[in-house]
Amino acid sequence: MESSMDRLKCVRRSKEEKKLLRRQIKISHTLLKHEGINTVSHPTKHLVVSNGGLGNGVSRESLLEVLKEGGTVESLLTPPAKPYAFVTYSSIEACQNAYTFLNGRALQCQEEQSVTIYFSYVEKVDSDRSVPCALPPGLLVLEDVVSPEEELQLLHAVDWTPHTDDVTVDSDRSVPCALPPGLLVLEDVVSPEEELQLLHAVDWTPHTDDVTVQKALKHRRVKHYGYEFRYDNNNVDKDKPLPDGLPAECDALLQRCLADGHISVLPDQLTVNQYQSGQGIPPHVDTHSAFEDTILSLSLSAKTVMDFKHPDGRSVAVVLPERSLLVMKGESRYLWTHGITPRKFDVVPVLEAGGSGVMTSDLSNLTLSRRGTRISLTFRKIRHTPCSCAYPSACDSQRLPPPPTVPVAEGDACRLESQYVHQVYEEISSHFSSTRHSPWPQVRDFLLSLPPGSVLADIGCGNGKYLGINPEVMSVGCDRSANLVQICIERGHEGFVSDALSVPLRSGSCDACISIAVIHHFSTQERRQAAVRELIRLLKVGGRALIYVWAMEQEYNNQKSKYLKERTTGTSMENGKELKTEENKTNQPEKHDRKMSSDIKCTEDGFGNVTQPRIHVHTNRTAFLSQDLLVPWHLKGNADKNKGATSSSTDVPVDKTSQSPVFHRYYHVFQQGELEEMCFSVAGVKVLRRYHDQGNWCVELEKTHYTSSKDDIAQEKV
Amino acid sequence: MKLLTHNMLTSHVKGVVKGYPLVIKATEVKVNELEFNAQFVSRMIPKLEWSALIQAAEWLGQSQDLPSTLIPNYEKDEDFLRKVHRILLEVEVIEGCLQCPESGREFPISKGVPNMLLDEGE
Repeated sequence: MESSMDRLKCVRRSKEEKKLLRRQIKISHTLLKHEGINTVSHPTKHLVVSNGGLGNGVSRESLLEVLKEGGTVESLLTPPAKPYAFVTYSSIEACQNAYTFLNGRALQCQEEQSVTIYFSYVEKVDSDRSVPCALPPGLLVLEDVVSPEEELQLLHAVDWTPHTDDVTVDSDRSVPCALPPGLLVLEDVVSPEEELQLLHAVDWTPHTDDVTVQKALKHRRVKHYGYEFRYDNNNVDKDKPLPDGLPAECDALLQRCLADGHISVLPDQLTVNQYQSGQGIPPHVDTHSAFEDTILSLSLSAKTVMDFKHPDGRSVAVVLPERSLLVMKGESRYLWTHGITPRKFDVVPVLEAGGSGVMTSDLSNLTLSRRGTRISLTFRKIRHTPCSCAYPSACDSQRLPPPPTVPVAEGDACRLESQYVHQVYEEISSHFSSTRHSPWPQVRDFLLSLPPGSVLADIGCGNGKYLGINPEVMSVGCDRSANLVQICIERGHEGFVSDALSVPLRSGSCDACISIAVIHHFSTQERRQAAVRELIRLLKVGGRALIYVWAMEQEYNNQKSKYLKERTTGTSMENGKELKTEENKTNQPEKHDRKMSSDIKCTEDGFGNVTQPRIHVHTNRTAFLSQDLLVPWHLKGNADKNKGATSSSTDVPVDKTSQSPVFHRYYHVFQQGELEEMCFSVAGVKVLRRYHDQGNWCVELEKTHYTSSKDDIAQEKV
Repeated sequence: MKLLTHNMLTSHVKGVVKGYPLVIKATEVKVNELEFNAQFVSRMIPKLEWSALIQAAEWLGQSQDLPSTLIPNYEKDEDFLRKVHRILLEVEVIEGCLQCPESGREFPISKGVPNMLLDEGE
């Protein structure tokens, strides 16, 4: 519209210039169509630079260098991830200059490729949204034309009432500028000389060890000092410290951290990671039970950007400059996840002072930073007691492991029983024994009914409370728990350690057998049946067996069992007191798992794959909601430490209120008739009695004739 | 482990046919004093594998002139019954092992408790 412009236009256009013009027009259309950028044909102070953005690998610096050739640049806006930028010149003349002479210029971008940049005038540059503010002619946007109430009415009328599903949290748009609580980035904590020393000390010369580590972790290379960190369970082998401690070269830095109060104890574990450009680490929280609170991470050789995410969706990107120390404490250590996106470039703010800080939304101040090979040294202190942080949702000490599923295969059944029966009884044996002292009256009656001189085997004898009831009878007990059998011996009884599915006693050597509160610990029907068959095998013909198992129906004939009756209301029954009830007695109530009802049954997915139902944790002193359960045991007293229990007590979940370890025992509780049904399927057996006794289903059996194992199998199939 | 218990124990290693009696290899043996009950002992005797008991007594060096076969009318022989009482109920293996006579598999005895657990697949 200005005459100078007309004059420029009058210049004859070459073929190349025409081509350029065509390209430019095409790009203008694209910008408008996809980005809502409205270009104008008359000169202004502002230009949109197509193909000159952070999103297509053009750095601010390289673009600026070229733009300056046009004239004095007032501002340059480079929106992240966009293939364009906006430049404002100090005058229209300068802008025109740039437009004329820089249009179609080739620019070197980061990937050693070149791009061609094109310029178009824009009316105005809005630095917040990088979109020009001119509306198309004739367009108006009138705001608040309907009230929120009218809005809902209209939505309802067209049946689009919003509900929770529609609400999305666009975490990319949330702009927190503060670091996660407890996070600090300390810059220049080591000098360049110290940096070299440390790099040398952790020595990245490849040798055979590294090859296996590299195989295990497909991405970054890793090395450990002090203790080996295991990636299969994200924990540390606390019983197997590595022979050498931390390299001596780290001492100076760690002492400084101690002196400055960033840490209160010296770390005893170091993990060295090498991240090449394009490598990263997925978002994670460092295992609570493995390490104490403050975690230090030193960045050497290169900087990077680490992303922190809060469970509520908030996300903060933190620049970690070379030779800086990241200090993670409290919430940033226990609750926020941290990770490094595997990329070759990061978008970073350009700051005068230094290179750290959070990402900002200040689009006038961003550039690209190519990743170098960064070596991180992460210093941590091994934790030896359960974690009791204020963030239980992320805490493996306070949170229970995911519930197991009802097993089908023999191997899975064995493993489940090993974890949730055998190991538990070994750990709790003393406490357990102290709560099991009074015999069930009807069991006592059975024992006293045996003829003098009978041989009795108590399969699953526990602490041996039934072994001395009838002195006229030769009693021997066996149990899976060595600690419990030990208690039997100490009380003067005879016992040995054995599995109820394979008892090393000669067939037909017993006049009577008892199995009190044992078979409900087997996790498959096959194994439960096998246990009954084994009892029968031990009996001579005419011999009797008595079996007690927990009943699902704790109330029978409208009478609540003692287990249900003695419901505590918060206060625990201490093991010091005389306990009145027996097998079913456990202590404190526990938080009920609400998900239980929905996944009690097997579920089938669309492909016909059946998933086994989960075994949930039962709430003590309430009715059983499913047949396969984990029943809590709150351990009191630490007498078991001397018994050589294998599991480390620091890995056992802890009850938050009492701080006592909680153990879970697996039970399959029986429905009415189920035990009987099972006994019918065993060959050579007659059911003499069946009854309900204090929350147990009970059967008394007689062996009617000798059977070989083949007969049993045939019988089962009938 | 008392010999009355040993008399009942057998090897349950898979596939073993002649797993009885288990060979006793004792490193520590104790002899306790237990109240003699003639009736109890005479009732136990018919339940025993007598030859296995004699064998066990020999392994522990406690034969004490016990006959290799049962004498008739042993119920009336107090002397005999006392000997049986001793070997059956008073002698105790505290440390050692039990060995399967066919497979050679050893089951440890520790603090008087034999551990008869088999490993997976045994």
